[in-house]
Amino acid sequence: MNDDLTASARPTKPKPRARSFLIAVLLLALTFWAAFKVSFDLSTFWAVWSNPIWAKFWPIPWDWVLTKENTFDPLIETLQIAVASTLVGCLLALPVSFAMSSLTTPNKVVYFFSRSIMNLVRAVPDLFWAKLLVTAIGIGAFAGAWSLTIFSLAVMVKLFSETVDAADPKPLEAARSSGAKHLPAVRTGVLPTVFPSYVAYSLYIFELNIRASVVLGLVGAGGVGRVIETQRQFFRFDRILGLLVIIFAIVWIIEQISVSLRKRLV
Amino acid sequence: MSHYERDLFDMQELSETQVTNERPLPPKTFHLWLIAIPLCVAIIWSVTGLNITISRLLDAPSDAWAILRQMVPPGFAEVYERGAVGKIFESVYIAWIGTIIGALISLPLAFLAAHNVAPIWIRSPIRQLFNAIRAVPELILAVILIPVTGLGAWAGTLAIGLHSIGTLGKWACESIEDIDDGPVEATKACGGKWVSGMRWGVLPQVMPIVSSYWLFRFEINVRASAVLGMIGAGGVGSELVSQLSFRNFPAASAVLIMTMAVVLTIDTISAAVRRRIIKGAENTIDEESRTLEAITDLTGIRS
Repeated sequence: MNDDLTASARPTKPKPRARSFLIAVLLLALTFWAAFKVSFDLSTFWAVWSNPIWAKFWPIPWDWVLTKENTFDPLIETLQIAVASTLVGCLLALPVSFAMSSLTTPNKVVYFFSRSIMNLVRAVPDLFWAKLLVTAIGIGAFAGAWSLTIFSLAVMVKLFSETVDAADPKPLEAARSSGAKHLPAVRTGVLPTVFPSYVAYSLYIFELNIRASVVLGLVGAGGVGRVIETQRQFFRFDRILGLLVIIFAIVWIIEQISVSLRKRLV
Repeated sequence: MSHYERDLFDMQELSETQVTNERPLPPKTFHLWLIAIPLCVAIIWSVTGLNITISRLLDAPSDAWAILRQMVPPGFAEVYERGAVGKIFESVYIAWIGTIIGALISLPLAFLAAHNVAPIWIRSPIRQLFNAIRAVPELILAVILIPVTGLGAWAGTLAIGLHSIGTLGKWACESIEDIDDGPVEATKACGGKWVSGMRWGVLPQVMPIVSSYWLFRFEINVRASAVLGMIGAGGVGSELVSQLSFRNFPAASAVLIMTMAVVLTIDTISAAVRRRIIKGAENTIDEESRTLEAITDLTGIRS
């Protein structure tokens, strides 16, 4: 476009093209329209601080919060949901990921179906799954564990199949050329090289599941979110704040352990 | 060395094991058990807490199947009349405005948090702020904000905007730390102030990658805002919840399919635009480590 490279004068600014101008106008219009639709309200940023509701968040009733039945039992349930769904989801993800990678897939049909199904599963947000399963199999931690299992499976296969894609194909070739069948070839040729990242991703999924399991209870799928939801309906925001402090302290500790484990793995 | 042995030799070198002419000993299995036993204990412990009875476990697939069968065919006409399309668009609007709020607030803060352009006394509190915000999921933020702002889309928008500040700030800050220092030095050498250094030295370098992060965050926020509706913060989630509560499964599946279609469309368009923006950008180093965290978000579960 600009052949005049030898010119010593300051280069002229390229003029905005009509198309970029049009896109800018469209985006701006979309923004204003969207702001109108969500009842954008700049005054909230100031008005929020004088809202009397904040007084209800304080002081934290520690004698209510620090009891077994109010906080710690639901919290343990939350952890159990996270652990169970991580273990089951990641275990299922191992064969599915191998089916989803072009390197190790047994055939085209399996490859196509596993990929498209998993993409569709991932397009549904996690709490939608929770709500669906709560409706299908009943309120409680069981439905929550199922929904997180499905969702961690979908996320895990996405992450891990990309690692398998990037794995060194030579050991697999070697195994195949020595006459190995498909499964033993994958088992000896690919699995050992990707296994450390498999474990690392599983830990990562565990961290995600811990966070997700906290909010599952908001739609009736068990765990500590159930207590938050109940207290929300009673407008006991002081209790909610206390719960949140405890939850995030514990989530933070678990995450730090998991992160340090992951760092040692990879 | 025979031909076979030489091959073996090559293979061993390839896998970086110790080179011997003997067949290597299989690794000891002791460590495996050390891992397997806690895993088994963990799964037994966790399953005991979920009130799983054999009958429930066996009934679950048939229950799910029964509902799945009622979901076909989806009742598009019914939900269309109820204005579900508008609800889905409301989710998109919430995500869009939330992303813009997050982007506008996080960008200046990111400059104050990057270690190569900001002094320590300002950057450590801002980093802590980013971390603290990222720790709280949107849904929890919405639970806190709904009593303040009232039910509706604005609560969801604020929750998403606030949460986005954390991740967008962290990403922007990381890309600012990756820049080439030359332009900043050049501005200084011309006598430019700190702000000019940021404007002319840093911003042009990071803008492509930062704006692609904004788009990426928008994709995540679309999913997040769909979920926020479930607790009354505006958007399509409320529609799904009410259809499922009335056990109107054809309508619920229609809502679900429409949401999936919108989510996938936005993902595809946004991914194409991001590729376009990044192509030619120099600052794609360390993309790998960020992808992991990014996918966190992509999935709707946040870290």
